[in-house]
Parts: sequence; C-alpha cells; structure tokens
Amino acid sequence: MGVPFDYAPDRPENIQQILNSLERYNPETTTIFQEYVMQQCENQTYDCYANLALLKLYQFNPHLLKDEAVTNILLKSLTVFPSPDFSLCLALLPPHILLPPSKASAAASNNPVAGEAPFNEAVQKLTVLHRLLAGAQYSEFWSTLDGDDLYADLVADVAGFEELMRVRIAVAVSQSVRQISRSVLESWLNLRAAPFDKFVKEVCGWGIEGEGKDAKVRVPLNKENEAKGVVVRENVKFEQFGRLVRRAYEQPA
Amino acid sequence: MSLRQGVPQYAQGNEAVRAVADESDAEEDALVNDYREQVQYNQDGMDDLERTVSIGTGAGQDIHAQLQAAATPLEFQASLETKFASYDNYCTLFHFILNSEGPVDLEMPNHYWAWDVIDEFIYQFNSFCSHRQRVALKADNEAEIQILRDSPNTWGCYSVLNVLYSLIQKSQITEQLAASRRGEDPSQFAGEYGNRQLYKSLGYFSIIGLLRVHCLLGDFSLAIKTLDDIELNKKATFARVMAAHFTTYYYVGFSYMMMRRYADAIRMFSHILIYVSRTKNFQKNSQYENVAKKNDQMHALIAICVAFHPTRLDDTIHTALREKYGEKFNRLQRGGPEALPIFEELFRSACPKFISPTPPDFDNPEINVDPIDHHCAIFMEEVKNHMWSPTVKSYLKLYTTMDLEKLAGFLEIEPEKLRSWLLVTKQRSRQVRWSEGALLDGEVVNSSELDYALEGDLIHVSEAKVGRRLVDWYLRNLARTY
Repeated sequence: MGVPFDYAPDRPENIQQILNSLERYNPETTTIFQEYVMQQCENQTYDCYANLALLKLYQFNPHLLKDEAVTNILLKSLTVFPSPDFSLCLALLPPHILLPPSKASAAASNNPVAGEAPFNEAVQKLTVLHRLLAGAQYSEFWSTLDGDDLYADLVADVAGFEELMRVRIAVAVSQSVRQISRSVLESWLNLRAAPFDKFVKEVCGWGIEGEGKDAKVRVPLNKENEAKGVVVRENVKFEQFGRLVRRAYEQPA
Repeated sequence: MSLRQGVPQYAQGNEAVRAVADESDAEEDALVNDYREQVQYNQDGMDDLERTVSIGTGAGQDIHAQLQAAATPLEFQASLETKFASYDNYCTLFHFILNSEGPVDLEMPNHYWAWDVIDEFIYQFNSFCSHRQRVALKADNEAEIQILRDSPNTWGCYSVLNVLYSLIQKSQITEQLAASRRGEDPSQFAGEYGNRQLYKSLGYFSIIGLLRVHCLLGDFSLAIKTLDDIELNKKATFARVMAAHFTTYYYVGFSYMMMRRYADAIRMFSHILIYVSRTKNFQKNSQYENVAKKNDQMHALIAICVAFHPTRLDDTIHTALREKYGEKFNRLQRGGPEALPIFEELFRSACPKFISPTPPDFDNPEINVDPIDHHCAIFMEEVKNHMWSPTVKSYLKLYTTMDLEKLAGFLEIEPEKLRSWLLVTKQRSRQVRWSEGALLDGEVVNSSELDYALEGDLIHVSEAKVGRRLVDWYLRNLARTY
C-alpha cells in the first residue's frame, strides 16, 4: 500500500493545480483552501498535503489565520493517527501556540490584538487528545473528549468524527490483537451493548464469543496480527558473481 | 543510493554487507578520485581568477567584485547596517541576473560559485531571522528594535522564496532535469537562459536552497517534495560540490526524521557520513571545519534515529558513535525517562536553526518563542510516546509466549498500561519506507525483527531469524584460488 504522502484520491483538479504551481503562496488562495477544508469535514475525506499548504499560507500571512480552519485541520489529522500528520501541522503553527495559557493570556490582556488565548487553549486541548491517541490510551481519549464542552464545540464541524475515530482505533487494535476481552474493547471504542455488537460485527467484521463477563471479541488473522516467525534467507543476486566471472575471462587459460 | 542501504538491514549478516559493498566501493573510489582532482582544480582556478580580475577593465572588475562578494560570508559580528546592505546587494545582483534584457553574459568565477552564492544568501536570511527573533524576545535594545520595526520587508520570506523560484523558472532547470531522467538531451529544454552555465547552476542549486528554506520553516513534507526532480545518487550534479552534497543529505535526512521515517533518515545520514569519512583526507582545512560541524550534527541525528529504529549501521559510523557518545548512545537505546534529556540535548545540538517567516511581535516580547523550542517540544512528544518501547521489546525478546499480567508485574506497571504500550510499540514498528520513485513515496513495512500479537492476555512473540550466509564465504574462497 504505497501511497505517496502528497497524494489524495479525492483531490479536485483545481486544488491540484494550485498545489503544483506558485499559486500555493498566493494569499488569495487562502479562501479556496479554507473551503476545501470545510468540504473535507463534510464529506469525510482527508487531504493532508493540501491542508499543510493552507497552514503555510497562514504562517506567511498571520493576519489571515482563521482559528476554525486550523482546529478543523488538526481534528482531521487526528482521524488518521498514528501518522505524523498532527505533528507536521503543529510545526507550521506560530511557535507561541504551545505556551502555557497563563503566559499567553497575560500577553493578550496587554494587547487585545494578540488576544489569541482561546485559540492557544483550543490547540493545546487537541494536543492532549493527540497525546492520548498516540499513547494508545483510548478509554482516556473518550472520557477526555466527553468531559469538556469545548471539545463538543470543536468537533461540531467535523462530520462523523467519533465514527472515524472508532474505525481508526479498530484498525490499530486489529494490528496487534487476535482476541480481546469485550469489556476492554467496549471502553476503547466507547460503545456498549447493541451498538457495540453492531459496530464490531458489521463495520469490522469481527466475531463475538461468549456471554457476560467472559465475553471475547475475536479478530480474524491478518498480515499484522499473525506474528509469524520468519527465517530470512540470503538473497543471492547474479551481480555478486560479476567479478568472479570477469576474472575467469581475464585470466589466461 | 548504494546497494548497501537498499537491502533490509536486519536481513544482513556482516559478511553480506561487505560483499555488496564491493560493488559500490568501486563506484566510490572513482568518486573519490574525481573529488581529489576537483580540489586540485579549484586551487588552479582560484589563481586564474585573480589574474583575470587584475587585468580586467574597470567595469569588469566591478561586477566580478560583486559576484565574489555575493559568495563571501559576512563577518561574524556584522552590524545590522551591514546585513541590510548585504540584502540590498543581493537584490541588485539577482535583479541584474533575472531582469536584464535577455540572459546576462557573465562567466562564473569558478564552478562552485553558484552554490556559494545560494548557500550564503540563505545563511544570511536564516541568521537575520534568528537575530530579529532574539532581539524581540529580549526586548532590551530599543535602537535595533526601531530599525527592525521600520523595515519589516528586509530579508522577507516572500522575497527570498521569490528569488529561488525565479532562478528555477528562468533556467527551466526542472524541465532539464526531467529530460535527462527520460534519457533525452536536457539542452533541448533549457531555453535561452538555461543553456548558460550561470543560470543552469544557479537554478539547480536554488532547488537545494528551497529544500533548506522549507525545512527551516518547519514544512518537512514540502521540503522533500522539492527534490522530486533531483535524483539522489553519486552522479548527481550536487555531488560535485562537497558542501552541496553534504547539505542536501542533511536536510533530506532531517526532514525524513521529522516525518518519522527513521529508516529513510538513517539511509541518508549513513550515505553521506561514509562518503565524508572516505574523502576527509583530501579536504582543505578551511572547508573541513564547516563539514566537521555538520558531521557531528549528523552523528547526533543518526544516534536518535537508531534509538527509534534499531538497525545495523556501517562499522565506520558505529565506531564513531561509540567514540563520540559512548554511554549516552547506550542510554538512548535503552529508553525510559532518563533518556529524555539526552534526546533533547542531541536534538537541539543537531537541528537546523529554525526560523519564523514573519517579523516577531515587538509589543509582546514574551510570546516570541524561539522556533527551535517549538519544534523541539513537538519532537519530544514523539520521544515520550516512544520511550518505553525498548524496555518492552527487551523483555519480549526472551519469550515466545508471555502472560500480560505477569509481564506487567515484572515491569511494575498496571496491566492495562502495558496493553497500551504493546499497541504503541506495534504501531511504531510499522514505518513508511522508500523503495523507489519520488522521495515522498514509500511503503509501510515492519521495521522490527520482533513481532507479536495479543490473544486475550497471552502475548505471542515471534522473531525474524537470519539464516546462514554462504555466498560471501564461497566467493571469498573462490577468489583465493585464482
């Protein structure tokens, strides 16, 4: 599955053209990219390379920065964890974004123009989510997400965010698990009872065995979770014998 | 790329490495000789240059002096005025080269001049931005702040990028490179400007300049994307100028590292470090100082990457790492919280001097965080996340099956925590690695020789074993019979 980083299957032609030309530096294209981000949120598609181009425009023209577009991009990049996308996006944001809120808000009170404290806070909240996901602490991820109204506001724009996250978590689980207890997986997916059964069976195609406390979920074998021992055999190429053959000709018989 | 790095590292015994290396050795020897000739040639070239300047006419002298100045570093403690003046000089020079009627008829003073100009241009841009940032953060030098406030566009990011992109477009260098990749004659596509060596060289090195600028701004994927048209191998044009060769690999390697493609980063760093160790005897001393500094930085970076992605390194590099870092290197590989300060120290000593493209906020000094801190913080998140993998792996290596609770007991942590660590370690062992095509391409591969799966609370562990290697032994003994 070699997909180049700069490739996105659903990228419209006009975006592709901008990305490949110097138009990507033109501040006027900001609005086009912003709309494209909204589209991604609505259609549940994702295009990291284009989103990075928008963040770069913001980096060069800070006055154009739209908080909402940035947080949406960051949320979208969470839906593809554990890829490095979130960090790559973060790298293009202004360096003071990770300052502790007290310091940033102190600066904001001096000067309302730099009043980006809520923005800083939002980005930092998303970094918390990213940290939990990267650390495979999925139940904490859900409890954090549900435990703060700010998250509800942030997620509102991204259609199907929770469902996307569940699928992503399921993928991560299927990489390392053949069988897992139902209660653990329930907390990881933040689903219980009938909806859990439905998701596991229909979306993932996994089986549920047993009842009550001992119920287990069985993940069919795939390339990643079979963990088969392999013996790496020597790969002999003819080229390795090149010198040998050459010398055989060079030597007088 | 030499064959040596193309083969999965864990699949190689020591002998096999050497056997494959033989082929690339021959190639490298040729390159080393080539380099030695160049060094000789450079010295002659310099003499020639002085002669032509001294017999040149007044006007000729002027432009030659300007060309020479553009490639000369500023003094270390240059004042702001000097930096502004230098910016103006570059503007004038590039304006003359790009916007005259038709291509200007200039001979380059020597063949590496084009590299020197672009290199120095970006270096001055870089140090100017860092300086401006520092002044704003300290907020104690009113006079300088006032000057910087008054000219926000000096050394502006857009103008620097503009120069680089214009040079690339004028010289039609991307078309030329694409043509030679197809095996066609590049001069067919070079146009009026690109057929002149001056434009061609400037255009070519501007691509590498862009790689560097994007990386400095923290846009790592775009940095790598910039090199789409350049093939990274020893026959590439940049390989003829030592500093360019070196810089290219440093920035590509670093960008790979930030994209968490550690295997690819290691491939880049190893290539250039081996090359340097083979050519250092012919380096002129003045040049070598710069190389030595970057060389140290790349050793630090490769140490970081190897900690993330344990790999067999080339013997030369491995010995150098042991000599330079010794105990630190061991601690990096062992992981855990005590490794964190070392990761940070090495990262800070070896990362590029990151910059913000826009003028800082002089009214709120405290929010002008050094971009290096920003990137370091992002990087350390990843390090922390990865910190327990070596510990987990070291235990798993000992067993073929293991109970989750029991292992958690050994590690003195909660079983659920261990379950998470196992998932993390598994995810981290799946990496994108380049196999062919553009530098951003790649496939997800298992980068660890250890693999495992959870069945309930039971961990099944498997290991990739390396079979016996016979070919090298056979070849060596056969060679002896001749």
